Amino acid sequence: MNFSPGKRPLSLSRREALWAYAFIAPWTIGFIIFTIGPMLASLFFSFTDYNIVDSPRWIGATNYVNLFHDDLFWHALGITFKFAAIALPLGLVFSYMIAVLLNSKISGINIWRTVYFLPSVIAGVAVALLWARIFDSKFGILNPFLEKLGIQGPGWFSDPHWAMSALVIMSLWGVGGNVIIYLAGLQGVPTDLYEAAKVDGATAWQRFWYITLPMTTPVIFYNLVLGLIGTFQYFTEVYVISNGTGGPARATLFYNLYLYQNAFRYFHMGYASTMAWVLFIIVLGLTLLIFRSSDLWVYYEGQIKGK
Amino acid sequence: MTQSSKSPSDPKARQRSFTGIQTQTLIVKSITTFVLAAGAAIIMIPFLYLLSTSVKSRDQLRQSPPPLIPMAADMVNINGTDEPLYHVTVNGQASDMALIKFRPGGKALFVDPAAPETTYELVIANQTAIRHVEIHFENYPEALKQMKFSKLLLNTLLVTFLGMAGMLFSCSLVAYGFSRFRAPWLNVLFILLLSTIMLPSQVRLIPTYVFFNKLGWVDTLLPLIVPQFFANAYDVFLLRQFFMTIPLELDDAAKIDGASPMQTLMYIIIPQARPALVSVAIFHFLYAWNDFYEPLIYLHSPEKWTLAVGLQTFNALYAVNTNYIMAASVVMILPPIILYFLAQKIFTQGVVFTGIKG
Amino acid sequence: MKNKLFKLLALFAMASMILTACGGGKAAAPAEKVKVVIFVGMGTGTDPDQVDAQNKLAEKYNTTHDNIQIEFLIVPHTEYATRYLAMLSGGNAPQLVGPNGISSVAEFFDTWEDVTPYIKADNLDLSDFYGPAVELNTYPDKNTGLPLGLYPSFLFYNKDLFDAAGVDYPTHDFNDKSWTMDKLREDAMKLTLDKNGKNATDPAFDPANIVQYGYDDSWDGMRGTLADWGAENVGRPTSADYKTATADNPQWQQGLQWISDGVWKDHFIGGADIQAGRDSAGTDPFGPGTTGMFYSHTWYMAEGLHGLTFSADIAPVPYNPQGKRIARIDADNFTIPKDAKHKQEAWEVMKWLTSPEIIVDVCRIYGCIPARKSVAGKYLEQLKTDYPGIDYDVIFKSIDYLDKPNNEEWIPEWSKIEDALNNGLSLVYSGQEKDAKKVLTDANAEVQKILDEYWATHK
Repeated sequence: MNFSPGKRPLSLSRREALWAYAFIAPWTIGFIIFTIGPMLASLFFSFTDYNIVDSPRWIGATNYVNLFHDDLFWHALGITFKFAAIALPLGLVFSYMIAVLLNSKISGINIWRTVYFLPSVIAGVAVALLWARIFDSKFGILNPFLEKLGIQGPGWFSDPHWAMSALVIMSLWGVGGNVIIYLAGLQGVPTDLYEAAKVDGATAWQRFWYITLPMTTPVIFYNLVLGLIGTFQYFTEVYVISNGTGGPARATLFYNLYLYQNAFRYFHMGYASTMAWVLFIIVLGLTLLIFRSSDLWVYYEGQIKGK
Repeated sequence: MTQSSKSPSDPKARQRSFTGIQTQTLIVKSITTFVLAAGAAIIMIPFLYLLSTSVKSRDQLRQSPPPLIPMAADMVNINGTDEPLYHVTVNGQASDMALIKFRPGGKALFVDPAAPETTYELVIANQTAIRHVEIHFENYPEALKQMKFSKLLLNTLLVTFLGMAGMLFSCSLVAYGFSRFRAPWLNVLFILLLSTIMLPSQVRLIPTYVFFNKLGWVDTLLPLIVPQFFANAYDVFLLRQFFMTIPLELDDAAKIDGASPMQTLMYIIIPQARPALVSVAIFHFLYAWNDFYEPLIYLHSPEKWTLAVGLQTFNALYAVNTNYIMAASVVMILPPIILYFLAQKIFTQGVVFTGIKG
Repeated sequence: MKNKLFKLLALFAMASMILTACGGGKAAAPAEKVKVVIFVGMGTGTDPDQVDAQNKLAEKYNTTHDNIQIEFLIVPHTEYATRYLAMLSGGNAPQLVGPNGISSVAEFFDTWEDVTPYIKADNLDLSDFYGPAVELNTYPDKNTGLPLGLYPSFLFYNKDLFDAAGVDYPTHDFNDKSWTMDKLREDAMKLTLDKNGKNATDPAFDPANIVQYGYDDSWDGMRGTLADWGAENVGRPTSADYKTATADNPQWQQGLQWISDGVWKDHFIGGADIQAGRDSAGTDPFGPGTTGMFYSHTWYMAEGLHGLTFSADIAPVPYNPQGKRIARIDADNFTIPKDAKHKQEAWEVMKWLTSPEIIVDVCRIYGCIPARKSVAGKYLEQLKTDYPGIDYDVIFKSIDYLDKPNNEEWIPEWSKIEDALNNGLSLVYSGQEKDAKKVLTDANAEVQKILDEYWATHK
């Protein structure tokens, strides 16, 4: 708090801004060193014909124009939007419900929580095998179960009409990550609020609706934004399950999978970069919309007002 | 507390009998437990298959339909080849015989192992194959040996924990900067931060590789560890969300006591955001533990691989290694699960704000 | 106390950075020997026991050679493309790549060095290599490498299922013209059983509950599956100048319709759900003992002929409706990337790997037939110990019926066309479209579009 003599003392707001920049410096420095270069490089590639092996050749907006005439681009974009429209809201609600249940004070809750965390732990090739095992039309787990309910189970991953549904179910199974975040959010709701509400005679539903839900909007907001970003880049699961093909019959050719094929299978890195930047614009636009809306529904206890 | 003040204060509710509330909670708890148990069953069934597959031999993998409990046929050697044994009934006499050759019409030739000269043509469907439970626990040591588990474990722990330390350190600072201060362009910078994860990583891979190669970092663990010290959007955003739920009054009180922003972060914010910090730590652990893509690109020498890359090598062309993949996977899910289970302690402590806005 | 903890954390983080930096900073020891890194992962060679065998091979080389040191770089097969391209653009190309199938040679065709000058410089005698093996590496503008091995194709058949169905085993006589696709279908239908034990020729057969199939060829793509049907361009979906798509040719239509009918009408071939089921069990089509005949290559033997619970043998593929026998072939070689720093040394290693002294050992690791005639006897001895009781003649004779142009051979936009065609195959196997003509007409249009786009920017 010593102001050096002879210099004008920093105004409070300048001082605050400097603190802010100082704290975010680790990211800013890392961004400049590791991130901005490759990002700009890919932006450059998007205007070139680049097969990775030879040097990129500038072709202007050709890739962007070609994109609009590429049936598979529209097909992949459509699939991705459809998946996002179904899996994202379902996943958000489903994981929230599980988190609320897992936040109750019942005995052995640690074990329950661990069980629900289990699906998000297993990764890679084992997941693909596991899921194929579950959805298998003949020897799977799901179809015999459906049969008992009198439903003839489909071929799931082998049937183009059902592959998407299988992926949605799969995504619900793996909501463990969201659940953890919600749980942390629920844990963060000050207990004295509940006690005060109990004294006021609020019902469980009222306590949930007027305390729990508003107090956890920041984490819902987080899961929504990251869910959006993640769903539009949905890749690993479908890459592993379809063996990189997007099959059966292109039913799971998601945007990022098609992008990946262009980049590392067809060696059209320029075109893939174009696809990446188009997706970037779409996701950025949607994210900004969500951010704009957040004033209306996200409640921050410690928000700094007046920017 | 605007929210809680909205809740109705119904005087009747207050007078609700104590035992009534208790019964109600008991019912709620039982329902909750029931629902959780049902969900847990759905989650656990696939894992039974995982376990079952992990202790099967290569031959058992081929059984169709795949039995949940690994079984094997009893075999007996007849003239140099192993043939399966059946409980058979010949002329009303029950005995154990070996099936040596299939015949048309659902029949087969059977012989008594003690006297293989005489063959009996019998309908297969009327005989029962003799099978026994056969569990191959040796898949575990074998899989771990093949993927050089103990060697790769050290690399994996190095990448995971160093990265985690760097991530927690940098992300706490950055999230604090983004949540507790006013500064020009801060919002724009935040969106810029988020935008780094909106561009599919595939198109940045080659330039990033070239960059790390120029630094001489390829085939070292550095590309997997060092960037973690410069924060990332996922964790900064999550921490920011949590920091923003912590009442500003706490900061103000600290400020009045003469605390610097750094001290406020350490003594006020971090303790309050413990569940969030534990969450990001767990996420990072999971990410670093399971990620095979980046290690696979940067780590050339097998002795520098992480476990996830080692696991990936079982997925070879023309090879059936499902049992080893599953065995190695079972081993690999244990550390995160144990870690999470232990982290529960911190979670369940919860956060209680007292003395603020009472 | 918390302050301390925080500082400790920071300190730990810093120390670890320095530590790892030091660990990483260790440059390769000043080597008098030139190091030849062999990139493994484009095809076979990444299975853990193969990795060990390759390391032993490297040891053998390194103890007997003073100027060059070899090292096998194992790249998990699923990510070979990313890693190879990253290495090329990062300026640290491997010196040698392999074993490569014809397909991965095609995938990265432009990145390979032409070895013709090296062959000439050494005056290397290629006459000991099988002619077709050399041809498969020879393209109009380059020779991609010395042949390592061949993988001819034939039918693996389950003798027990034939016995149970009362069907004669497929003929082993290559001149028996009665062994046709039609005959194969007839036999396969008799081998196909529902859960009541009725076969596919029985009017009471229940197609919804099939427990055993007569035939399977699901481990290959469209080009491979249809190469045997005797089209003008055999395994190539384009004209010889690569400008016109020919995937809708009548022979391919006939072949694809045969498959489509086999799955959906005659029921002797399992569809996409059956294939998915096997994949999920992590098993192959033949091993479970529920497939009468499986069409595959020598590379399947290591996996497929071991530990079977039934007796099996191999037989030649049938004559196609054109009255010709085509048994598609795969082949492996090692290639040198153009950007490799020590090409001469890489060439020396390539020569060693394919030399008569070592080629049998190398092929044993990868499961191929050594591409040299002079070691055939040695290889046969080894076959007899590894796979007793099968008809080895079928393996060697099948080489004579290889597909030319090959079903994996280079075409422009190789992978993109491959995906477009395999999408068609997937439509058939999943029952989305059962009319082969429709599938191939659509696929051909897509291939034509890809070719047009290619030629718009090339030459």
